[in-house]
Amino acid sequence: MQCSKCGNPKVIYKREQSGQILCKDCFIESIEKKAIRTIKKEKLLDKGDKVLVALSGGKDSVTTLEILDSFRQRNIIDICAVTVDEGIANYRQDGVDIAIRHAERLGIEHRVVSLKEEYGITLDEIMQRENHKGSCTYCGVFRRTIINKAAREMKATKIATGHNLDDEVQGIMMNYLEGNTDNLTKLGPKSESKAEEFTTKIKPLREIPEREIGLYVVAKELEVHFDSCPYAMQSFRGEVSEAINQLAEKHPTIKYSTLRGYDKIKNILKNELKKDYSHGRCRRCGEPASNELCKACSFLEELGL
Amino acid sequence: MKFTLKYKQINEEREIPDENYSIKDLLDDLELSAQTIVSKQNGELVIEDTVIEDGDEIQLVQIIYGG
Repeated sequence: MQCSKCGNPKVIYKREQSGQILCKDCFIESIEKKAIRTIKKEKLLDKGDKVLVALSGGKDSVTTLEILDSFRQRNIIDICAVTVDEGIANYRQDGVDIAIRHAERLGIEHRVVSLKEEYGITLDEIMQRENHKGSCTYCGVFRRTIINKAAREMKATKIATGHNLDDEVQGIMMNYLEGNTDNLTKLGPKSESKAEEFTTKIKPLREIPEREIGLYVVAKELEVHFDSCPYAMQSFRGEVSEAINQLAEKHPTIKYSTLRGYDKIKNILKNELKKDYSHGRCRRCGEPASNELCKACSFLEELGL
Repeated sequence: MKFTLKYKQINEEREIPDENYSIKDLLDDLELSAQTIVSKQNGELVIEDTVIEDGDEIQLVQIIYGG
């Protein structure tokens, strides 16, 4: 057995969807080329951009940082990063420490923002409350709000997240199966909002399978936080992911075809279904909000904070 | 014929049950999915079809976690 590209007999990966067999160097190159292709095809970067990487210290965000850094080294963009510390004991600190080390290694501006400092409560403390809405609900909303605010304060022109092919396909299928056409219009490589307070979000890894990102960080010996969130539970996303992975065993190209199909209809969906939210202001924090309170503040009021 | 398995907290010697025992067979025995694991043989990344040899150190790294 030898590498399909260079003939090296030391192979590390067999790509089931194409039959390609790759050695370490050719595999690493293929991942970097693919992300760069997505960035160019979808016009995710403009010269002079300051990109804020949402850096958890996990494999996806560290890979995003690594790939975007190649653009920084060529003076095309500048990079900064933010890490959200949700306050999850015996879990989050390792990721925060890894994120700090990556930022120091690259010499980039980096902020760690904790839920405790920002809102006066940790996710662990929220989960001890009765009648909570589930950890992922708070985590998603608070994290998004903190990242948006950091982007504004750090004067970033784009926010890069580590969403991979599996995340994107799960999002497409979940929203379709739930009939959530509103959320279905918000997916895609680049999310722009009419409210100028919301920085454009980009997903450079959306065409790369999760498994390949895991292999990439191990092959490149990048330090990442491999662990499971203690609040990860049997969610609908988990069930959809399991079903897709089961289908992918017999149909190895199914994740790509789902993404391609969505990309073909997404503009039609956006034109037909996108709601034009009236952008008012949250009466509590002043952030853009479609109701009297933004989502984060409505949670805080429910929590008595 | 033995090999050393390293996986999370596990660090143990195991018997090689038959001649063509591969990392894929090991993953099946451990009920682990090849989709969530990458494998190293004596410190170098390898594909799951790799046959385990006497004296090998096989390290399994979980790269995908639920949630």
